[in-house]
Parts: sequence; structure tokens; C-alpha cells
Amino acid sequence: MKRTVDVSIPVGPVHPCWKEPARVKCETKGEYVLSAEVELGYMKKGIERIMKGRPWQEVMFLAERVCGICSVIHNMVFIEALEAISSIPVPERAALLRVVVNELDRIQSHILANFSYCYTIEHETLGMYLLDVREKVMDELERITGARVTCAYIVPGGVRFDLRADDALHLRANLASIEGEIRRYMGMFENGPLIALRSRGIGILTREAAREAYAVGPTARASGMPETDRRLRHPTYQKLGFSPLSREEGDNYARIMMRFQEVLQSIDLIRTCLDTLPEGPIRGGGIPGAGEIAYSGEAPRGELSYFIRTDAAGRVLDISIQTPSIMNIEACCHYMLKGVASLADVSSTFVSSDPCIACTER
Amino acid sequence: MSLLQKVKNFVRSKSIHVAYVDVGSCNGCDIEVLACLSPRYDIEQYGIYVHNNPREADILLVIGAFTPGWEEKLRSVWDKIPDPKAAIAIGNCPISGCVFDRPHSLIDPPVAKHIPISAQVPGCPPRPTEILSAVLAVAPVVFKDYEVKNR
Amino acid sequence: MSGYLYEKDLTSMKYAILTSTRHDRMVREIAAELGIPQLRLRRYIMNRFDMLLMENLPARYEQGKRLVEEAPSPERDLRPHLYSRAVPLIAEEEMDHILSRVRELMENGTPRDDAVSAGRALIREAIMR
Repeated sequence: MKRTVDVSIPVGPVHPCWKEPARVKCETKGEYVLSAEVELGYMKKGIERIMKGRPWQEVMFLAERVCGICSVIHNMVFIEALEAISSIPVPERAALLRVVVNELDRIQSHILANFSYCYTIEHETLGMYLLDVREKVMDELERITGARVTCAYIVPGGVRFDLRADDALHLRANLASIEGEIRRYMGMFENGPLIALRSRGIGILTREAAREAYAVGPTARASGMPETDRRLRHPTYQKLGFSPLSREEGDNYARIMMRFQEVLQSIDLIRTCLDTLPEGPIRGGGIPGAGEIAYSGEAPRGELSYFIRTDAAGRVLDISIQTPSIMNIEACCHYMLKGVASLADVSSTFVSSDPCIACTER
Repeated sequence: MSLLQKVKNFVRSKSIHVAYVDVGSCNGCDIEVLACLSPRYDIEQYGIYVHNNPREADILLVIGAFTPGWEEKLRSVWDKIPDPKAAIAIGNCPISGCVFDRPHSLIDPPVAKHIPISAQVPGCPPRPTEILSAVLAVAPVVFKDYEVKNR
Repeated sequence: MSGYLYEKDLTSMKYAILTSTRHDRMVREIAAELGIPQLRLRRYIMNRFDMLLMENLPARYEQGKRLVEEAPSPERDLRPHLYSRAVPLIAEEEMDHILSRVRELMENGTPRDDAVSAGRALIREAIMR
């Protein structure tokens, strides 16, 4: 809507703290932000248009490249949607290995999000510590799947590679050191007086606003909505006895702490998987057929939904992807940014919702 | 070559300020550039400083296939960088469009059509070490004897 | 002649967002319910909403439908929350005004269906204005 405003301060698209381009136009009164309007279009590649009419073997790799940070979950949701369409069974060992890789991906994504936040509030030391821990997680991902990013590990009816015994040992040892370091940095974040000044009570997202904008993931769970976690509805996670965490504050501090807590939770989940990992095949095989489905999974940033229609040859006729960042950035820009006391908090509040513009625009 | 020029060459090869701009990638290369910052790869021990401010940069890392939103903006970002400068294309997307260069997509690769590119690092995504070695290899070559060449 | 340095015409980008499968389905549903030509509704949405809100419209629409189901009549049929909060097509004050008109009609003995369709006509008028 074209409006005439007092002072409209654009932030972006090239901004020192943001990984990706977006343009937030803040209507301000002095330093006080009254409302924000977002201009996208810097990342729109039209992936959904490319996907239409292509065989699933190609769409699988395109789906991964919707988002490079959380590529494992895009792979997993797309393949599980195909499996649900044509009722392909998954061996139990493969199902647990999927959880292991997915949780590793969640850990690295959450650590990256927290690094971005620490970097934005100029706490570079903590940011660098976190980035160092992230490399250990990336090592584990690479050891299991063969690639750091976009690893295409999950295939219909199973996973690509088995977890070898010495890799499992390595994973356990590395998880122990990651857990120790994350606990230490979490303590630093929790008790740092300057961090508290920059984070507590800033960018508050109330429960009602989160419901209205349909916020998901850690952003919603930091506003007291644990029921938004899609892992509750996933059969493998149900077997593992998963129960989501939540916090009540709904400010920047709560969102970052929420991610730290989820990292620890994911480490526990991986350990449970490794303990209960049965021997057996990792690939059952199966051919995707015709059908239509709406399938959701829990990405690091929240609920990720694929709406797919395929034909008998396994071609994707129609596809629509709803990524979590769409909802979270919307909740951030239209609810959190309203009433932020200073322009300096705009960038940190924006980053605290873990924005991924590549997901948002696809 | 004058002594002054020698000093300039040396200093320029040991102090490189980098900015990165994402013109429509999947984010995978973005985070690999960020991973270069981590203490594991420690980009700053080579004298490279990631600023992400075009006005202070020497080298621009271009990531991603070219989307319509950047039509005239990438050129203006490039113009804002002070001379001597160089642009490096990171990943397959700015080189060829990678998986996105298909009918009905909105992108317009390669990026070399829009700004001059000095080096290309292929990969989907390239490893942080490859990005690091590309920056280190390009900087001394492009910046060497800049004043002499421009006389 | 002076122009804004950064302000670009976003119409084509906004149209690209609106033509995705789920957006298209949502626009068709709303247009059918309110009796507005689809083209008119698309143009209205493109003029009023910023790009992020447009991306989020299907999710908000579904969530709004879910929230509206528990409401009493005439809210359940007219779905004021859906059209003023979830998909903010018209301002809340205007929606309250329309709602009170519909209530008035119902109190004066107009059958429920007629009152609701009169309310829809008012919403349509507000959008087509």
C-alpha cells in the first residue's frame, strides 16, 4: 500500500549483519519504530515452477536446494511425502538414522542462528566460540553423509549410507564434547549482563500474535506454544518419547535460549537413537507412484509443509512448499518490530527470529 | 618499480577486506563463506577481514544466480567499492545458474554479464578452504602494480 | 525530474508470488465467497499488502479459518476475523461497522441467510470501492 509517512528508514538489502538480502522499511517516530514493511524479491528463483513436471529423482535434489542451511529436512519431508503417497515401508534402522542426521542438521542450524545473533549484538567472542562448535557438528554430518551441505542422504525406502561402528563411536565422543561446550556457552549467554541488556524484553511476540501470524518453531515455542512442534506427530519421534520444550517470555533472549535448549535436547535424541539402533537393512527400496498429499515435518525453524501431486511415473505434477521462515519473518516484522524502542534493535530482533530469505522466496 | 609501489603491493596482498553479496542462492554457499570466519579456518590469520560493507571492501564475493531484484542494485554495489577491486563468483550458481537454470525460472545467470568477475570457485557448495584459497590467490595478482597499470 | 532512488516497481514480483498453487487457490476461494472478480481481488491484494504478508497469506488464511469455526453466528458465516485480521482485506473498524449492520438486520427480523449475504455485499462494496 502506498502511504505517506513521517520518516521511513530502509534497512538493507545489503546489511553488514544479515546473511541474506531483504529490505525492511521502518516507519519511525524519532528512534521508536511504529511499523515495518518488507520488500522481498532479491532471492526469488522460482523453484516451484522449475519442479513442476519433473521426475522425482530431479525434484529431490531441487528440494534440497530450497534452503542450504536446513537441507536435510527438505530432503526428508519430500521423500517422506513420496513414501506416504505410495506407502513405501522404511526399515527401522534407516528411520533412526534419518533422525540422527536430521538432529545433527538441527544442531548446526540452531548454532548458526545463535552465532548470527551474537554477531549482531556485537558479542563476537561468543559468536566465534559457537561457530567453532558448529564445525564439529559439520564434521559429523560429513562423516555420516559424505557432504557438509546438501548431502541427499535420504532416499525413498531408506537412507544412502550405513552408520559404521567406528563412526558411531566418533559421533558419541564428539557429542560429549559438543554438549560440554554448548552448556558452557549457554551459561555465558544466560548470565551475561550486557547480553541481557540487549536481549531481555526486546522484540516481544505475544501468544495471540504468534497464533494469528501462525508462527512456528523456536520462535513460537519461545512464546509458549509447545504444541506447534511437528515432531510430536512423527512416528519415529513418538517412539523415541519426544516431548517439546517451551518458554514463556517471547523476547529475543527467550528465542536464543530456546535454541540452546533444543540443541541439548537434540543431542539427547541422537544418543537415544544410537542406543536403540537395531541391526538390519538400511534400504528397502520402493517406487513412488501417483497420489496427492500435504505432508509436514519439523525443520530447525519450524513447521515445513510440502503439498505434492504426482503421476504414476513418479513425476511431480504440482508442488507447493510452505517453509517456516515465511511465517516467522512475518511474525517478526509485523508484530515484534512494532514498538521496538530503538532502530539499533531492528537488526538484532530481525536476526533473532532466524530469518532465511532463501526459504521464504524459494 | 618504485619502492613505494613495492610497499603497496606487499600491503595489499596482506590486508584484504571482503564483502559478500547474495544475489539469489540457496544459502548453502553463504554459510560456507561464514564458516571461513570460524576459528577452524580462521580467515583473519591470512589478513583477510570480512567486513560486509562494500564501501570498505577490496574483494566482493558474489553468491547465487542472478535474480530480478538485483537488476540495477548489484551494479551500484559494485560501483561503491573503491579501486582496486575484484569480484569472485562463489559456487556454481553465479557461474552457470546450476540447478536453477531451467525453463520458467526467474534467474538470469551468469553474473559475469552484469559485473566483471575475476575468479570462479565451482562447487555446490565449495568447501571453505577452496573459498579461502581463491581469495588468497586472486588478491596479489589483481592488485599487483595497480598504479603502474593504470598510468 | 526527481525520482526515488531505490523505489522500484514491484508489481511483477508480487504477481509471481500470487500465482503459486496455494495462493491461487486461496484467491479463488475468497473471490468465490465474496463474489468479486479474481483479477480485481488480485490487484487489490497487490496494491495493499507488502511482499512478506503476501507470501504468508495461505498460512494465515488456513489458520484464520480454523480460528473462526468456534465463533457464534453471524461471525461464523461472515468470518469477520478472517477478512480483517488473518487476511487484512478491510480495516477492523469497517468490519465492526458491517457486523453491527448485520446484527441490526437480524434483530429486525431478516432471516439469517439474507442478513449474512447482505453483510457479504457490504464487504464486497468495501473492497470494490
